[in-house]
Amino acid sequence: MKALQVERSLPRFAVARAASAVAPGRGARVGPLRLAEIDPPAPPGPGWQRVRPRLAGICGSDLATVDGKASPWFEPVVSFPFVPGHEVVGELDDGRRVVLEPVLGCATRAIDPPCPACAQGDLSRCRNIAFGCLEPGLQTGYCSVTGGGWSLALVAHDSQLHTVPEAMSDEAAVMVEPAACALRGALKAQAGREGVVVVIGAGTLGLCAVAALHRWVAPARLLVGAKHPQQHRLAGELGATDVVAPSSLPRAVRRATGSSAFGQSGDDSSPPARAGGSSPMMQLTGGADAVVDCVGSATSLAQALAIVRPGGRIVMVGMPGPLAVDLTPLWQREVELVGAYAYGFEPGPGRRTFDLAFELVADAGLDRLVSATYPLHRHVAALAHAAEAGGRGAVKIAFDLRRERERDRI
Amino acid sequence: MSRLPSLPSLPGARFRVPRPGFPWSAPLVPRGYERPPAAPHTGADYDTAWARRPLARHVRLLVLEGPIRLGVRALTAPERTGLDRLDGLEGAAIFAANHHSHLDTPLLLTSLPEPWRHRVLVAAAADYFFTNRLTSAASALAIGAIPIERTRIERRSADRAAGLIDDGWSLLIFPEGGRSADGWGRGHRGGAAYLALRTAVPVVPIHVEGTGAIFGKGDKRPTPGTSRVTFGAPLHPRDGESATRFAGRIETAVAALADEATTDWWSARQRAARGTSPSLSGPEGSSWRRTWALGERRRPRRSGSSRSRSSGAHSPAWPRI
Amino acid sequence: MSPRPGFVLEVDRSTPPTLFMHGNGYRLEHLPVGSRIVYPPEPLPVVRDIDGAIRDALLHPVDSDPLPALLFPGMRLTIAFDDISLPLPPMRRPDVRQRVIEAVLDLAAEAGVDDVHLIAALALHRRMTEAELRHAVGDRVYDAFAPRGLLYNFDAEDPDALASLGETSQGEEVEISKRAAESDLLVYVNINLVAMDGGHKSTATGLASYRSLRHHHNVRTMQHSRSFMDQHRSELHSSNWRMGEVIRNAGVKIFQIETTLNNDTFPKPFDFLQKREWEWSLRDRSSYLASTKALARTPDRVRRSIFQSVLAPHNMTGVNAGDVEAVHELTTAKVMEQQLVHVEGQADILTLGLPHICPYNVHSVMNPILVMCTGLGYFFNLYRRRPLVREGGVLIVSHPTPWAFHPVHHPSYIDFFEEVLTETTDPLEIEKTYEQSFAEDEWYRHLYRTSYAYHGVHPFYMWYWGAHALQHLGGVIIVGGDAKAVRRLGFKPATTMGDALEMASDVVGRDPSLTHFHCPPLMLAEVT
Repeated sequence: MKALQVERSLPRFAVARAASAVAPGRGARVGPLRLAEIDPPAPPGPGWQRVRPRLAGICGSDLATVDGKASPWFEPVVSFPFVPGHEVVGELDDGRRVVLEPVLGCATRAIDPPCPACAQGDLSRCRNIAFGCLEPGLQTGYCSVTGGGWSLALVAHDSQLHTVPEAMSDEAAVMVEPAACALRGALKAQAGREGVVVVIGAGTLGLCAVAALHRWVAPARLLVGAKHPQQHRLAGELGATDVVAPSSLPRAVRRATGSSAFGQSGDDSSPPARAGGSSPMMQLTGGADAVVDCVGSATSLAQALAIVRPGGRIVMVGMPGPLAVDLTPLWQREVELVGAYAYGFEPGPGRRTFDLAFELVADAGLDRLVSATYPLHRHVAALAHAAEAGGRGAVKIAFDLRRERERDRI
Repeated sequence: MSRLPSLPSLPGARFRVPRPGFPWSAPLVPRGYERPPAAPHTGADYDTAWARRPLARHVRLLVLEGPIRLGVRALTAPERTGLDRLDGLEGAAIFAANHHSHLDTPLLLTSLPEPWRHRVLVAAAADYFFTNRLTSAASALAIGAIPIERTRIERRSADRAAGLIDDGWSLLIFPEGGRSADGWGRGHRGGAAYLALRTAVPVVPIHVEGTGAIFGKGDKRPTPGTSRVTFGAPLHPRDGESATRFAGRIETAVAALADEATTDWWSARQRAARGTSPSLSGPEGSSWRRTWALGERRRPRRSGSSRSRSSGAHSPAWPRI
Repeated sequence: MSPRPGFVLEVDRSTPPTLFMHGNGYRLEHLPVGSRIVYPPEPLPVVRDIDGAIRDALLHPVDSDPLPALLFPGMRLTIAFDDISLPLPPMRRPDVRQRVIEAVLDLAAEAGVDDVHLIAALALHRRMTEAELRHAVGDRVYDAFAPRGLLYNFDAEDPDALASLGETSQGEEVEISKRAAESDLLVYVNINLVAMDGGHKSTATGLASYRSLRHHHNVRTMQHSRSFMDQHRSELHSSNWRMGEVIRNAGVKIFQIETTLNNDTFPKPFDFLQKREWEWSLRDRSSYLASTKALARTPDRVRRSIFQSVLAPHNMTGVNAGDVEAVHELTTAKVMEQQLVHVEGQADILTLGLPHICPYNVHSVMNPILVMCTGLGYFFNLYRRRPLVREGGVLIVSHPTPWAFHPVHHPSYIDFFEEVLTETTDPLEIEKTYEQSFAEDEWYRHLYRTSYAYHGVHPFYMWYWGAHALQHLGGVIIVGGDAKAVRRLGFKPATTMGDALEMASDVVGRDPSLTHFHCPPLMLAEVT
């Protein structure tokens, strides 16, 4: 069976890391990822079924893995070799189309009784992701046993499967998983209707977060920092009230919140002769009620800290990795910094995240975010495209496995 | 050639030492000829025309812009204000300044703006600067000094100065007639006013401050410090004005400039308008009281160095002057 | 030789290329044969004895008692003066304001006046720095008054320093500096660089608050000012005159002193910039070649500081003092004498070369919004009777239009550019939707009052200034500008003058008539 596989090879990780410094996504050619011929995974126990992927998205965390940049934190919670791909819409042997909820919680690991989080359905907080009947692996796509989406077949536990409604296209269905991540982050912002919410980044997660905030929170001002023209347009369509370049975000937030900024008062009789736009790190006195950081870089987090109001909340939706950020504002302004990793149960609406995500994808028409699909053998091009999606006018890149020749033989 | 010793009468030809004859040596004066007294060539009669020829002027330019300017900057760190008042002034002018120190002349010469700086002569006391040929030549060359008789109005030196002004030379003059002995000024003499009336050129009053403390009269060596030169608006002689009256106006103007330099322009103008500008010559009385009063006139810190916010309500308390 | 009047040249095959100012630089452009070039008159001679003329004007004012008769001990005297926006480029020291203010203060000292305030009448402009104030009023006046807090920038956002004087017949509120309103005499020291300046606009605008200014600094007024350089056909001036009446009726006594300057704009060796091209000497041509080559190799920032350090050799051609209206009539006549050029007929295309400076970027950056204001606001409106370009015609502007803002001087401009112009460029829409939120933004208010920032609403006024032109023109093309910035302004970018003319032909046809307005030096076209 054809599959893209990540091997545990330190030299390859190192080479990928070096290559990705030249251009993001370059790690695909030289790194730990290889197109391999492997045996299809066998169901590890009762309640497991074979899923043949139809579309499998490329996520930012996948890119980090391919480029050798994933955090060492993941070391104990993955098992090599694994097939990446956790944004999966596939079909069961009975022809039913399903979306995979990739977290490998207690239920999939045959741990009974489940941990308290899993008991509440909050899978993303499961405490047993390295134990039970499976190899370690926080999600399908990081576990050596289950296989992953970037192949022709994987195995999934019944508890992981969500049936796709007949009317929903594969393109829409593949957006359910990222939409669920983003929507969890959006709901964690805990903003009110009168509030000002900022979304930093307008990639897949950012745009989904915008759609989610628009649908469930509808804050008075929803500002988005977006780099590329396509992102500007989509963010506006999905409900942002203001879309600005990331560098102008502090100014826009200042305007929207009516706050002031430090550092430009005039005790100096000879004003600086320097010219240019605003500094991207203009420090505000007030700021937004909540900032949803869908980038996860040191720059974005520093900017989030500069534009959130004292006592406000920053939700990290983008995967951060090791960052060097001055946390003084976090301390001095008593800002809450919370993470939003995956999905589970949303206490607000009182429903499972994935159920909400299905609604969001359908109602907001998020299928439009799937910009391009590639066959498996063009994975180098696919990953390069995904790594530069914004600049190339794209949002979500996915592997299309529906037309793989081998598919029907498995 | 005034110092030729009168030759003793030759006793006899036998003892003649071989020496070159007349064209090679000075002629002997025939006996019986009464030599007229030699015209004095120093003092007020020193002829400075050579110091106004191109070569000397270029030497002076080099000296002034080189060592003198550097020396003045090192010693007196001058602050020059009021130069804008000379805007629009054309042609020759008489610059009249108060006088504390020998440094005043080089300070002022380096302070004068173009085009006057290199076309100005300094009226120097004939009895001080022109006592012998060496000092005369040095004064004439280095600062363009011309000898002026300060003890009396002397027709010839006045004529000569007037002629030079008519030729387009400007004149720097210290109407007090000498350096201040105790820090206070003295009354003005009429020379500057007389020359201005006679040649119909304007008088620019100048106030110099600080040089007295750096190298005052009687000081053995200079102590570096700061000085301030304030130029006043040119005063034009009025029709039918007497030299005395005009001299009074010049003195008042310099006094107002002194007031301006120690306080500020507006207060100085107000006092000048009321006729209450502090006198340059200080209070009458014993010398300790004069010295005491001098201390109160010390210039406060420059206002420019402490800025204030624009609004009157928030302005910091201004130190009482 | 008496100065030659301005004139209109028709370009033929022997005409040398034409000089276009181009921001911090200049270019030579070939204009099509048959184009017309409007040249300004040569500089008028300067008054010989400036201080004497000022004193004479104060002692023999127009329609007013001599100044000494208006001064008395114990009175409150306020002297207001024009701010950094005048004159352009800044003049060499001593500034004419310094001369006038010193003359006034001399008389005040003689009259025994003690209570004197000096106010920089900057309305919603940025505060002047110490160096700028020193340049305008001179060190003597600055040192005497500023440390005591008696010389200061007007603050239109200080509620305690404003006085409401009532409303005009048309319901326009008049709110000006309290100190000025409560003084026994307000002396206004003006520099009348263009025909728009001076008159009642001095006090009613220069010392007024936003509450008062919004009644004439708005789109409707600007669209009905044809042009605002012609005070008889300017709604801007009608409104200011109405306010002037309210101020007078409220008992504020104004002694107006207006000065006019000649248009001697560029110092040597850049004086060729104001010469007619065919009269350039060998030295001029070498200066042009050397300076353009050198500037092309100079970083923008250095170029900017070179150009911003230019001090113009212009000086006073006249001074009048006394009653506001009577004085302003004489002043306007003098301005016309210097600036008026007769032009016959309108053209399909008007070309302009914008210089490095406009009233709002002295010691600062000419940002895209100011480019719009200078081209479509100021230069377009330098006409009487009819615009130089026909209705529906095209304006071609030469300026690099860099995407650059001075962060201290123009904070609200940056937000205006990012927040407003990305949505709309329609002045009416902008006024309706955004003006209030910018005008009342606390941060802008804070920066205006304590830093050196233009008021939050100021970029709106810049945009309104071009409202008449936007309404009148069929298209605007900017040659040599930053394409993104130009598009953001709603205009079309062109790389060369040739391209621009091609693009213009889409609007005005294949064989358009073209007029080039060879400004600066400043002039005013009387179009018949």
